[in-house]
Amino acid sequence: MSTTTTIASAPFDGYSAPSGHYDECFSRDGSPRPAFGPLVSHINTLGRDSLETLVAEGAALVRESGVTYNALEQEGERTRPWELAFTPLVIHAAEWKALDQGLKQRTRLLEAVLDDLLGPQRLLRERVLPADVVLRNPEFLRAYHGLPKSGGARLHVIATDLARDPNGVWCVTGDRTRAPSGLGYLVENRIITSRAYPELIQRSNIHRIASFFIRLRRMFESLSPRPSQNPRVAILTPGQKSYRYFEDTYLARYLGYTLVQGRDLAVRNGMLNLKTLGGLLPIDVLWRHVSDEFCDPLELDPAAVEGVTGLVQAVRSGNVGIANSLGSKLTQSPSLLPFLPAASRFLLGEEPILPTMTTLWCGDRDSCRQVLNDLDRYIIRPAFTIRGDRPTRPRDLSQHAREELMSAIRANPHQYVAQEPIPRSATPVWRDGRMQSWCVALRSFQIQFAGQVDVLPGGLVRVSPTSEGVENPHHSTQLGQDCWVVADGPVDQSSTLLPSPHVPLRFVRGGAELPSRVAENLFWLGRYSERAEAIARLLRTTMLRLVGEQSAADTPEMPRLIAALAAIGQIEPDYAVKELQGGLPSLDDALPKSLYTIDQQRGLSPSVSALADKATAVRDRISLDAYRIVQQIQEELAQPVQIRAKSDTRLAIARLTRLITGLLAFSGLGSESFTRTLGWRFLQLGRRIERAWQTAELLRATLVDLDSMSRAARAQAAKSAATGLRPDKDAKAIAGETTDIDTPGTKVSGQVAEQFLNRNANGATPTAKPASSQASAQPATNAAATDSAPSQRPHVSDERPVLEAVLEATDSIMTYRSRYLLRLEPDATLDLLITDETNPRSILFQLERIAEVMGPLPVEADEVGVPYDRRLAFDLLHRVRMAQPTLLATASPAGRRESLDHLLEILTEGLPELSNAIAARYLIHTVASQALTGQV
Amino acid sequence: MTTSSSRYRITHKTHYRYTDPVAICQNQVMMIPRELPRVKCRDAEVHIQPPPGLSSSHVDYFGNPVHTFSIETQHRELTVIVSSDVEVTATSFPRADQTEPWETVRDAISGGNNPDWFSVCEFRYPSSMVNTGEKFAQYAQQSFYPNRPILEAGLDLTKRIFRDFKYDVNATRVDTRAEEAFGLRAGVCQDFAQIEIACLRSIGLAARYVSGYLRTIPPPGKPRLVGADQSHAWASLYAGQRLGWIDLDPTNACLVATDHVPICVGRDYGDVAPMRGVVLGGGNTSLNVSVDVVPIDADAG
Repeated sequence: MSTTTTIASAPFDGYSAPSGHYDECFSRDGSPRPAFGPLVSHINTLGRDSLETLVAEGAALVRESGVTYNALEQEGERTRPWELAFTPLVIHAAEWKALDQGLKQRTRLLEAVLDDLLGPQRLLRERVLPADVVLRNPEFLRAYHGLPKSGGARLHVIATDLARDPNGVWCVTGDRTRAPSGLGYLVENRIITSRAYPELIQRSNIHRIASFFIRLRRMFESLSPRPSQNPRVAILTPGQKSYRYFEDTYLARYLGYTLVQGRDLAVRNGMLNLKTLGGLLPIDVLWRHVSDEFCDPLELDPAAVEGVTGLVQAVRSGNVGIANSLGSKLTQSPSLLPFLPAASRFLLGEEPILPTMTTLWCGDRDSCRQVLNDLDRYIIRPAFTIRGDRPTRPRDLSQHAREELMSAIRANPHQYVAQEPIPRSATPVWRDGRMQSWCVALRSFQIQFAGQVDVLPGGLVRVSPTSEGVENPHHSTQLGQDCWVVADGPVDQSSTLLPSPHVPLRFVRGGAELPSRVAENLFWLGRYSERAEAIARLLRTTMLRLVGEQSAADTPEMPRLIAALAAIGQIEPDYAVKELQGGLPSLDDALPKSLYTIDQQRGLSPSVSALADKATAVRDRISLDAYRIVQQIQEELAQPVQIRAKSDTRLAIARLTRLITGLLAFSGLGSESFTRTLGWRFLQLGRRIERAWQTAELLRATLVDLDSMSRAARAQAAKSAATGLRPDKDAKAIAGETTDIDTPGTKVSGQVAEQFLNRNANGATPTAKPASSQASAQPATNAAATDSAPSQRPHVSDERPVLEAVLEATDSIMTYRSRYLLRLEPDATLDLLITDETNPRSILFQLERIAEVMGPLPVEADEVGVPYDRRLAFDLLHRVRMAQPTLLATASPAGRRESLDHLLEILTEGLPELSNAIAARYLIHTVASQALTGQV
Repeated sequence: MTTSSSRYRITHKTHYRYTDPVAICQNQVMMIPRELPRVKCRDAEVHIQPPPGLSSSHVDYFGNPVHTFSIETQHRELTVIVSSDVEVTATSFPRADQTEPWETVRDAISGGNNPDWFSVCEFRYPSSMVNTGEKFAQYAQQSFYPNRPILEAGLDLTKRIFRDFKYDVNATRVDTRAEEAFGLRAGVCQDFAQIEIACLRSIGLAARYVSGYLRTIPPPGKPRLVGADQSHAWASLYAGQRLGWIDLDPTNACLVATDHVPICVGRDYGDVAPMRGVVLGGGNTSLNVSVDVVPIDADAG
């Protein structure tokens, strides 16, 4: 190239599309195409640096918006952020109009084809399609045949995949007629791209997409079988593990629909219902994103759990509107592509407007021969089912693999289609500091409503450096792109998703419409966030003492903090026993490292991932800000650290502090930005139960015994004895909550427990000490002596450092100081942490909130008296209210606070019991169902 | 064969007993006899106890009547009694050695001038419980050697399955596929029928699954035992335009005549399961099925 490149060269300088591909942006003479012109000059005016900034800001926006993309459609695979190329694809309205006509026709055609195949099957009987192409298709389940339409159509929302060939002609590469994905990403792409080019958008006459979504909503409402002003529309999602979960939650929120899973639904009396805490609520319209064959275990796959028993019958009786029709998977089968032109002539009497990518079905003998003779020319795909994996490219195969493919085709020709790949058009993408030219895949969306087809002006664009890259739906180099359809004159700007102000709105107070599953997830969300905070605080309190000026001898509270950390599973239980510590890595090393240990069963890291997991499960119920905070919390722990830095205590403390800040922000949102619905009540219940429990456990590990070592050993022994016997653990196994860990102490193996017991018996014999009700008044110097000589008769140590640490770990030190200044006394501490109803950290405060929150929960109409769960809560509340701090602080001659221990024991057993009672009453709705057969 | 037609009163009683209460049950029953060229169903009634809150009927893709019901009151027992009045006519077959060569039938199925082609086509392909494959084809070809008359070959295959496979109620389950039963060389009528269907489809012929009843003839001088008749199943082979579908019973090594009463027809057991359902709760379930096929005197009818 002879053009001189100045340092301040414009972003588009030197840009060109690869030869053999249509250039979306520039015409052959090198001038920008009219539609692209304003964008090109806008970007060139911005210059490289501003463009770079704009792209970086945009990327941050995408991250913040929490848009993720499940890259591999595999279970357990981590989602990655959706990535966006900030240059949109721009198409001129005149050009779009032709495409729009073609897409309308194709939508009508697919509707007619599906209606025929699920009805009279004239296409087959009159041999317009080979009968095999449908009858051998495993997606054609006979149960779908003859079901009624909803709202006069079978295909309500569909998508068409398009590629533009080197001549500039748009060709169809495939159809999505079941439940096309991409609408959510498309909206997000538009929102973020608009923020990147605010002025350009203002003056560019871009067709708005909002009007499409208004029509979409009206369409769904029209599918209701019952005349209703406000039909209940639900999106049936396959669930959290599905690649479409993000988008389903997004759309549910964007459109204001209820997001449901199969187990939220029940067919009763032939009607589809949502199971809520308040009872069954009828669903009028179901936008199902669950695959056809999994929709009903009675009439379809009996093993399917994603659907609901009786759905097919509810549809057959016309009691629920369903979009798209059950069986709509059939028309997206690639094997139909070669025959659609003939079907169009037969059913519509029209020639197809849009060409289709050349496709040969190998089930046809001549086609098969042609494919095998010229294999390298094609890409090979399964004929019947669309799968996430990339098509096979015979050209790239080894001789051996090629022969295997050929014999597979020969053995089962009907299972394959061959397609001639299209060199796709190329469009500008700013990447790695230069304007590159990437290949384009466009997915358009159409709805059918009231006998009319609406095409979304624009679409979801995916770009990749090569044509192959976009054909593989989950290629890692893919970026999303917005698509602008620009007109020469002004376009309608008034569309908004908000309903018309002329329709009077009925005021409601939400609440009853809470699926039990959501209540369950919110409950655990509350528990895990509180658990994570308690562990993080305790860990920080402990580590601050490691980095302090004092030596270990000056920190007599250390053994108790370690015992408490061991009890919650954050570190090896062996640390709690001084004699065993010798064989372990030093605490300076082990404590910070425990932050990053992801394989521990309990402790901080698992609590944070469980928290994130629950937040994802209720993503449509919590605010975007709340979700973002949870993501940040998770990232705080997940951020890669160098091996050496892992044992850096100061770094760990800094992280913990950020983590605690995040958790506080999350709980703040929970109390300030969450309407007081039933959902909020369950979040609160989880939070309050967990906080009370964590505090009780902490106090038990630190303040019951005046001597630290005997206490630690006893605590461990008691925990070990309880291993596996905690009722809450068993209850959760029933509820299927296998991932929720609720049992401090379960990790302690029986063997270790035995060692503890022996050591306790053989080592320092805890013989009776002289009575000392003023343990805390002991001089500080004694503490050091006690710790350095553990085999001596136990001494009563100075308790003040312990009290201070406990107050710190429970975030109550400020309150304490403001009341009592520097006088640290056990009774005042216990009062503040247990019986002070004004301290939001006290156990009494939690129990009062629990009782309040439980009050309005629904009860059975015929229930008499106080239900069991409430009785438990009131009992605990009463006991704590009646407790006297002075008595609690009094120790026995043996150096134990017996009445404190008694109260804490009641709490540490009663709180999990309460949790179980709530779960049994409200959350576990999954009574096992079984299949009946007529055979013995 | 002395009679050309028989008429029966059939009573099919299915009784479930649960150890725990059932909150909801949703069921589908396929026990109402469908009309077939040689079968006439004069009357059929379904009695369900406890009475269902909701019930409805429809005809499925293959033309079989389906009765759907749900019970939403708590119950510990469920009884379904289907009684029907059916007349079965025996087909008169030509001599087996004078039927068309089987390849002619195979090639004519999708031929341009066969008016049956579309309804037959369906039954040539593998279905969810009946796979096809080389193993089945090899087994079938010992009976279906080149140019053998189709009825002769079909009867031979039926007899070989009867001989080579062991009738064993413990060998298979209700959801056992043809392939597994073929490997086990054992099963019940459902497996025998599905194996024969798999063999026939694997050599390109069309075969379907027939659910029905078999009337038991008491030994001479003994009274007929109530409830001793059985649900049964067999295979049906498409034998060309003239003969249509001929029913073969590999469990009894015979052609089907008037002792067999067909109910429903499908690609395999999965299409015609007499009873399917999903119950909520129930604990352990015990099931009791009894079938009575009582001949109705033609004069009394």
